[in-house]
Amino acid sequence: MKLIFEKSVKARDGYSLPKDLFDEVNIKDCIPEYAVSDSKKVLSEVSEVDVIRHFTKLSKFNYGVDDGLYPLGSCTMKYNPKVTEKLASLSNFIYAHPLAPEETVQGCLELMYDLNKLLCEVTGVDQYTMAPAAGAHGELAGVLIMRQHFVDHDDKRRKLLVPDSAHGTNPASATMGGFKMIELKSNERGTVDIRRLEELMDEDTAGLMLNDPNTVGLYDEGMQDIESIVHGKGGLLYYDGANLNASFEIVRPGDAGFDIVHLNLHKTFSTPHGGGGPGSGIIGVKKFLIPYLPTPIVAFDGEKYYFSDVGEKSIGRVRAFWGNFLVLVKSYAWILSMGPDGLRNVSETSVINANYVLAKLKKYYRPAYDRYCGHECVVTGRDYKKYGIKTLDIAKRLMDYGFHPPTIYFPHFEPCAEETIMIEPPESESKEVLDEFIDAMIKISYEAKTNPELLTGAPHNTRIRRADDVLAVKRPILNYGDELKLKEELKYKDEDINF
Amino acid sequence: MRYIPSTEEQKKEMLKEIGVSSFEELIEAIPVGFRFKGRLNVPEAISEAELEEKIYQIAKKNSDFSLTKPLIGAGAYRHHVPEAEKFLLQREEFWTCYTPYQPELSQGTLQSIFEFQTYIARLTKMDVVIPSIYDGASATAEAALMSFRLTHRNKIIISALLHPHYKETVKTYIAPHEPEIVELPHKDGLVDIDGLKKLVDDDVASVIVQNPNFFGGIEDMAEISGIVHSKNALLINEIVESMSLGVLKAPGEMGADIVAGEAQSFGMDLNYGGPYNAYLATRKQFLRQLPGRIIGETRDLDGKRVFVMTMRAREQDIRRDKATSNICTNHFLNATAANIYLSLMGTEGLYKVSLLNTKAAHYLENLLLKSGKFEKVFDYPFYNEFLLKSKDSVATLNKKLLENNFIPPLEVSKFYKEGGLKDVLLFAVTEVLCREDLNRVVEILSE
Repeated sequence: MKLIFEKSVKARDGYSLPKDLFDEVNIKDCIPEYAVSDSKKVLSEVSEVDVIRHFTKLSKFNYGVDDGLYPLGSCTMKYNPKVTEKLASLSNFIYAHPLAPEETVQGCLELMYDLNKLLCEVTGVDQYTMAPAAGAHGELAGVLIMRQHFVDHDDKRRKLLVPDSAHGTNPASATMGGFKMIELKSNERGTVDIRRLEELMDEDTAGLMLNDPNTVGLYDEGMQDIESIVHGKGGLLYYDGANLNASFEIVRPGDAGFDIVHLNLHKTFSTPHGGGGPGSGIIGVKKFLIPYLPTPIVAFDGEKYYFSDVGEKSIGRVRAFWGNFLVLVKSYAWILSMGPDGLRNVSETSVINANYVLAKLKKYYRPAYDRYCGHECVVTGRDYKKYGIKTLDIAKRLMDYGFHPPTIYFPHFEPCAEETIMIEPPESESKEVLDEFIDAMIKISYEAKTNPELLTGAPHNTRIRRADDVLAVKRPILNYGDELKLKEELKYKDEDINF
Repeated sequence: MRYIPSTEEQKKEMLKEIGVSSFEELIEAIPVGFRFKGRLNVPEAISEAELEEKIYQIAKKNSDFSLTKPLIGAGAYRHHVPEAEKFLLQREEFWTCYTPYQPELSQGTLQSIFEFQTYIARLTKMDVVIPSIYDGASATAEAALMSFRLTHRNKIIISALLHPHYKETVKTYIAPHEPEIVELPHKDGLVDIDGLKKLVDDDVASVIVQNPNFFGGIEDMAEISGIVHSKNALLINEIVESMSLGVLKAPGEMGADIVAGEAQSFGMDLNYGGPYNAYLATRKQFLRQLPGRIIGETRDLDGKRVFVMTMRAREQDIRRDKATSNICTNHFLNATAANIYLSLMGTEGLYKVSLLNTKAAHYLENLLLKSGKFEKVFDYPFYNEFLLKSKDSVATLNKKLLENNFIPPLEVSKFYKEGGLKDVLLFAVTEVLCREDLNRVVEILSE
């Protein structure tokens, strides 16, 4: 499809401005000569109609949760209620200036204050900061809180433990937060190797970052030992909230000994992903860590809500203003819609869904770990290697059946987890949808044996076929200007470009 | 429950297929001592109608912002957002999809972000663009970290006129590097050039300068970059009000090494502070040290032009603890919002609205000075924000403005403790304030 720039027609316009442009004010009296642009910056010249058609067409090249099953493991791609979108777009919210006087934004502050209370109850911690914009942003804040805690106690620690099964953001956050990341190998059951943890956890180690259920979708049966080993050496336990969907009213991270808890509101709390954000990766802490939270937090004096400075021990700010407020509105509305029984139902249903898929598929795709799972299950495509089939091919073939593929090649560690397919069927997926997906997966397993080319050439029914990632790196074209330059160099004509 | 389709009957059926008799068997691995007992103490579920009523009631505790217009900017600007953009953004295909890991099902997002990268490259005249970091403050912090990696130095000079929240964010992010942080003073509302000459030395990784600065002042970036480069340090050009790019010379023409920009002004509402979207732009040779996602053009099996996430060897899911940053989920939807906004405005529209902003701001400054109630603080060139010192009590003035549906300008003493800045207000003017509004403001303040 053509780029917006290729649809540009000289002197066409799509903007709407008031007639009064203050023409009597001279630009020379506004902008000094050293700063004024010599010419207009060239963007595009298209009408509103062109724009509507261009982006409507583009949108149709995407696949969203409203199109069908989106079983990405660790991503919790659940249905996003429509009413919450409407509530987050109320004019009193979207036109609220972040530095407006507090008396004019009592509604915004009350909502953040209330949301904090609800989330503390749900997760068993004492105070949240609403600042972090995404999971990794929350991780960074959490790791910096750890660092500050130890600096404050004159106990500077250099290392931080991260399981080999962790998301890439965990080790990267550990480094960004100033720690040396030490990898903790998992045992053959897919969970924390308690013996290794005992060896590695020392008084130079700040603690452990962990998911529970972990990143292979398993509740860790050693949680009590983990807690006593890490805390026994004065360390802190960090909860990566990517998998909280399996835990509502079943286990609260705070009760299981976690000191810092991060939540992905854009996963567990039902706000849409937006093709990669905006999300919200807020973090909650136990009481003794409140002094280190990013500043400020919302407080209430019985009459008015206000921002309260966390104090001089705070790690400082991690962003401008207060948080991704509109995302907070949606999560708040979702919790109120669910109530305690609804939340319990979320976790029960998602755990049943994942175990159901696992039970139905394990004859065809060997599970990484043959045991009950949490809200997601990990199977492998390793038995199809002998037919020349990789997990990637299975994933691409699923697209032909109308499904978004699960997460693949993550987690990846030998010997259990290779050629992995991590399937997360959240509570919003019905048994009928799961049955259709299971059928497709079984059909693909037969195709892999009988007609492997069907898989290696897949997808066949999508708008584009497999893309050349190597070429993209070798010959980087990172904006339209790069393409134009290359065309000139290679003497391409427009008709050589296949749209 | 309307968001959970499976019935109790179906759940039982599924448990049977799994081979267990109860749900509890599935969660046996959780240590009994850690399990939650009882019921969560959160309010009972309410219906959609009740929910709407509840949130309306909360929203009503804010001022009626559909009627108010802000005279405050300071990092968040109320510009007009075209309905066509809002309408397009509601398409579920943009909203409810994940990060575009599977290009065959995500060409919409991928092409849109590629187009946005192009717009920012054209506006900044820089080679490569990272389309999405959470916000301007975190983007500036990432730029600072990038400058440490590029220079292997860890001293940084930060303009006193960088947005205070941005300044604090940079300090938070770089703290683990135990850096030397030096504040670059201002002189009459602009960077103190002589001060800069004295401060820049061979240990400096980068100098962060916001332009237009926090007081709205237009810096001489070319002169600044000359001084910064004389010691082989990098110039980080922070842009908080991206609308200014319509008329100001591009950072790439004035020697910027890294541009960190907040794109909120391109089609995002105030949203009580977020979500917004920031971009980073730099020169080609620094590409591999950039944090975050970038979209590139390639071909599919049929030779068709397609788009993918590329240059991924920098990123956390590949490089883990050696990655350039931990950023994963960013604000791609907001980048698409900005792309749609810039497409609608086009070459002519963006130039005009950018010019309108600065002209209207100068119109208001002039009238306020003429009213006799205000005096100039500094004699400096500004874009769409300016400082004035009030002769009347600021509290009374704020009250009058609020009563007349204007959000008052920022009292800079909230952030700057310098003696001369008491009772000084930072006014912001955008195209949502028409001549009648501005005249009314002057009338109210002259009463």
